[in-house]
Amino acid sequence: MSAYLPVLIFAVLIVAFGVVSLAVARLARPSRPDVVKLANYECGAEPIGPAWVRFPVGFYLVALLFIIFDTLAVFLFPWALVLKPLGLSAFWVMAAFIGIVGLGWIYAYREGVLEWK
Amino acid sequence: MIAFALEIGVGALMLLVFIATLVARGDDRRWVGWLAAAGTLALTLLALPLSPAPAQLGGAFVQDGLALFAKRLFLAATFIGLLGGLSLPGRPFLRRAGEYHILVLASLLGMLVLASARDLVLLFVAFELMSIPLYILAGFAKREAGAVEAALKFFLVGSVSSAVMAYGLSFVYGAVRTTSLAGVAKAMPDGDGLLILGLLAVFGGFGFKIAAFPFHMWVPDTYEAAPTPFVAWLSVTPKAAGFVALFRVYFEGMGTAVSFWVPVAAGLATLTIVAGNLMALPQQNAKRLLAYSGIAHIGYMLVGFAATSASGTAMVLFYLVAYVFGNMGAFLVVEAVARSEGSEHLAAFRGLAQRSPLLALAMLLFLLSLGGIPFVAGFWAKLYVFWAAATAGLYWLVLLGALLTVVALFYYLIVAKRMYIEAPPATTRVPLEPMLALAVLLCALGVVILGVYPKPLVMAALRVAAPLF
Amino acid sequence: MAAPGLSAYLILAALVFTIGLFGVLTRRNAIGILLGIELMLNAVNINLVAFARFEADLAGLVFTLFVIAITVAEVGVGLAIVIAIFRVRRTVDADHLNLLRG
Repeated sequence: MSAYLPVLIFAVLIVAFGVVSLAVARLARPSRPDVVKLANYECGAEPIGPAWVRFPVGFYLVALLFIIFDTLAVFLFPWALVLKPLGLSAFWVMAAFIGIVGLGWIYAYREGVLEWK
Repeated sequence: MIAFALEIGVGALMLLVFIATLVARGDDRRWVGWLAAAGTLALTLLALPLSPAPAQLGGAFVQDGLALFAKRLFLAATFIGLLGGLSLPGRPFLRRAGEYHILVLASLLGMLVLASARDLVLLFVAFELMSIPLYILAGFAKREAGAVEAALKFFLVGSVSSAVMAYGLSFVYGAVRTTSLAGVAKAMPDGDGLLILGLLAVFGGFGFKIAAFPFHMWVPDTYEAAPTPFVAWLSVTPKAAGFVALFRVYFEGMGTAVSFWVPVAAGLATLTIVAGNLMALPQQNAKRLLAYSGIAHIGYMLVGFAATSASGTAMVLFYLVAYVFGNMGAFLVVEAVARSEGSEHLAAFRGLAQRSPLLALAMLLFLLSLGGIPFVAGFWAKLYVFWAAATAGLYWLVLLGALLTVVALFYYLIVAKRMYIEAPPATTRVPLEPMLALAVLLCALGVVILGVYPKPLVMAALRVAAPLF
Repeated sequence: MAAPGLSAYLILAALVFTIGLFGVLTRRNAIGILLGIELMLNAVNINLVAFARFEADLAGLVFTLFVIAITVAEVGVGLAIVIAIFRVRRTVDADHLNLLRG
């Protein structure tokens, strides 16, 4: 059973993180509710109405960026699993890969894609 | 490391252009393009003295004679294409010059790796690295309805063909239980059904990319709406890369099993030659005319492919070089005329010989080369391909090809008639950007030199094709 | 109950591939066509993983990872083109995209 001890510790930590951060936020923040703040929030779309609304095109741009970085994980997982036997060279190869993807991020930032218009 | 010199060079050049793009300010950022063009020229010169190197990455990456031959061609063609595009007017090309050139270089990197790939995974990744930037480049003028529509068509057809190709590759992998092409060649003589099915699907995927007949629909639309200097490059280099990859997958090390591909390639060649030439006849738009004639040329190259011999392969390589110069040159002249007249209609060429005799002469040379008239490059290209096919016993294919060459000559000469016989609408010279003029001049030199003295290139092509069989 | 064999997975992949191809050919909405292409590429992944599992060869799994990455790159570009088309033409219906002949 002792093999499951780390899992238990993680579970406790996860629950504690949620409880503690919400409690601290509750105590530390000012509370001034108004109509807009109390409305349901769903990614900037009108929460009530027909489902076939046209989304602002900015969402698609952010989604495009997200999907590209998301897929990075496809290569990161197997890499992380075999990093130890492969050693430092594998580390640098992945660093170069992330660097190249990072260049794309820098360009997106420079072009103002991340700013909400 | 020396085996990867060119690939690393293109990668470094992309990084350099990227940094230049980050520091570039103002509305005219075309100077970034000069960096890309100069870098490509430097890499072309670097590629000339390179010699074959041993295989890398456990045999997945090979720098043999065929790869080097192809890489020199890709680099030189990209240099000419970039030269032609340096002075492109229009806001996207001024403001986003960095993006344009990085995309061209990314596609070039894909071609370079593709020429060396001897592994299914590397082959597929390189193929997509070559293709995906092309979709973006086709729709680069993203405020023009025609350009984005052409990009969408190109993208849809291209990605469906990639999916078919990947599906085929998965069967090939399943049949031979390895991703190495050497394994495929070893398993081919057994004629496993799964392997044959996979290789046929992959052939279909390649057919889309090189625009062979039933898979050609994207070509005229994309060519018509995309920026012309890019089309000049698009119409030759990715097709050359596609053919080199075809040779690797279907010929290398297969021994006598290659004869399986003769009916497939010969059938495709017949359809492509007939369809391309006949559909080119009624065209009134210069770019659409060249698009259909380009499809026909792919058919002639498939004739050489159908010969499934070292000489056939070598002659396709020679044909590719002649086609690169002739077709690129013709498109670049169309660009010069269209920029001056604002129209790509054949009527824009009326009386060009009186207005700009040198430009008209260059166009005439390109048309004669494409048509296959003696003493320009295209004549030898067609002759050699037919000769290789006749040696392999494909007489009917040679006869058909020769017959349709006459049809092709007809529509090429209609353009020549417009330039030389009809009266010009204006007497002013057609203005020519210096770099565009240089690109046209390089193409014209290539066509003439190969037409007068083809022997060294033929010998080189024969040398690099021999080890495949 | 016997575990399904290799051919079961190949048939599943062929079905998914055909459904995707059917979607590509019949859908009039550009986003729908993109979804079809995605299905076709996922059929490739099923094939590769099935072969890798039954032949006990790792290369197929590696191939799958690359196919996934390339699919994302392709769909990213495709979506960007669709957005560009929508900005210019206000439609993503393939029947209305008829500026070019052919």
